[in-house]
Amino acid sequence: MFKEKPIIATAYFVCTVLAAGAVLPLAWIMMTAIKPAPEINAWPPSLLPHEPTLAHFYKILAEENFLRYVLNSLVIALGSMVSILITSSLAGFIFAKYRFPLRGVLFTIVLATAVIPLEVYIIPLYLMVFQVRMLNTFPALIFPFIIMTFGVFFMRQVIMSIPDELLEAARVDGASEFWIYLRIILHLSKSGLMALGVFAFSEAWAHFIWPLVMVTSKDMYTSELGLAIYQRQFYIEYGPISAGAVISIIPMMIVFALLRRHIMQGIATSGLRG
Amino acid sequence: MINASAAPAAYAPTTRSTRFAAYLAGLRRQHIAWVICALGPIFLLFVLIRVYPILETIRLSFFRYHITQRNRPFIGLDNYERLLEDDAFHTALWNTIQFATLAVALTLLLAFIVALLLRSIERAAPVYELLLYVPVVTPWVPASVIWKWIFDPIYGVLNYGLSLIGVPKLAWLQDPNFIIYAIVMVSVWKLMGYFVVVYGVGLRNIPEEILEAAELDGATPWQRLRYIILPQMKPLILFTVIICTIIYFNIFTPVYVLTASAQGAPAYDLKVVISEVYQNAFVFYRMGYAGAQSVVLLLFVMSLIGLQFYLLRDRK
Repeated sequence: MFKEKPIIATAYFVCTVLAAGAVLPLAWIMMTAIKPAPEINAWPPSLLPHEPTLAHFYKILAEENFLRYVLNSLVIALGSMVSILITSSLAGFIFAKYRFPLRGVLFTIVLATAVIPLEVYIIPLYLMVFQVRMLNTFPALIFPFIIMTFGVFFMRQVIMSIPDELLEAARVDGASEFWIYLRIILHLSKSGLMALGVFAFSEAWAHFIWPLVMVTSKDMYTSELGLAIYQRQFYIEYGPISAGAVISIIPMMIVFALLRRHIMQGIATSGLRG
Repeated sequence: MINASAAPAAYAPTTRSTRFAAYLAGLRRQHIAWVICALGPIFLLFVLIRVYPILETIRLSFFRYHITQRNRPFIGLDNYERLLEDDAFHTALWNTIQFATLAVALTLLLAFIVALLLRSIERAAPVYELLLYVPVVTPWVPASVIWKWIFDPIYGVLNYGLSLIGVPKLAWLQDPNFIIYAIVMVSVWKLMGYFVVVYGVGLRNIPEEILEAAELDGATPWQRLRYIILPQMKPLILFTVIICTIIYFNIFTPVYVLTASAQGAPAYDLKVVISEVYQNAFVFYRMGYAGAQSVVLLLFVMSLIGLQFYLLRDRK
């Protein structure tokens, strides 16, 4: 865009500094997680551990029961992801490829809820769960995350680019609408589904305030909740806390590393939020 | 960002009979039964999980609603009147406004500058974008935990770094003057990468020929930015300002983690609106009152978005 020499030099400098600023805190917590306790509080601090240890991971996973929290988070995130993929692709398909009365109104209602975050209407959601006596259960923890407004919008965008002729051809061959959804739409929107899946998984995995109000016993903690509560109680034990933070980040990093092209493409097509 | 509906206008019937045939085909194409079966349940879920709770929050705000009490009388605007005298809520609202303003401005300005600079080093750009995106995929709780450790007044690496250039140790999370900047810093760190990528997409869509033509005509880099790039980017800037405003006005998790006092590590208890809502609703179980606080925040953010729309609208 700008080919002036000073601008190119500035670009390299500024971007390198900021990229380092983005990644170094994560490197720092990973190093802290494998340092033995005396090294963590050493002054001056050293970046690399002299005697790396996995003791903190053992402590947090086994003794503090983080393994259980991670599994809880996995169940919630996977449940949410599967549900959002199904509901978003189906609703996106209908909104993209069919004309029916009230289509515009229904789509607007769905979209309008996107600008209001869960924090604002968390009280009635909580009361609904409370009234059916489902606090502290997996269904309650997944419940607000079984649909995603943005997912419907996103899948509609993706499916709109599938040519109508393909659908018509299948209909001529006698395919039912459900078959078309299952065999053509899902197949041809794979890349979009992957991006949305990653997004849905990480949203549910990372959510904090909902498990905070839902969970009433330690065995239902998610990894986020467990980490937040643990660091409140044992602030001085930064080794296990760092290990917990690393454990909570790793699944996100793996998913992101595997699917980064789909994610970046998702952002390009419709501002997929990460 | 909503594309115009892609309704196929491929059929342009000319005579009466073909028009009638097209109408019949249209009816069949509608597949009403299938649409109802497929969309109905999903739409009902949206009503149950999104629309109803939003409306119910507003309704609750007119009631005294304590979860353990059977008596839940309608009290009109009493909750809102009490809000007018609630100092904690005023502090929370003011803190939220300060935080969000600063965080929105810094996040988007930095992201825009970086995205712009990356277009000059196009070959290296994907690597930088990837590195900047890493904090975006880091969830808020570990992100806050990381920074709490960096901000630590005694062992924190930030104070160590500052001590090298002669700055004395600062209590980032314990000093009421600093904590808001600390949370802004964490937020910018966490979200900037997303907006760098979004702006990057927008900037790549500006045709290179226009810029080259301007350059040939002797436009300085500043003029190219001011008169070509910024106007082209306006819709995207509006979109990002709105998203960013919504995220930051509803900030809770980093505040909860970074302001948590723990044994051996006190922190200043910075109040924001959502932490007040959380406190009232789920610690004191004053659901109606907390509902009123949510509604005030909602109205505030909605009017702000309206204002942003007005200021950044396309004047044609």
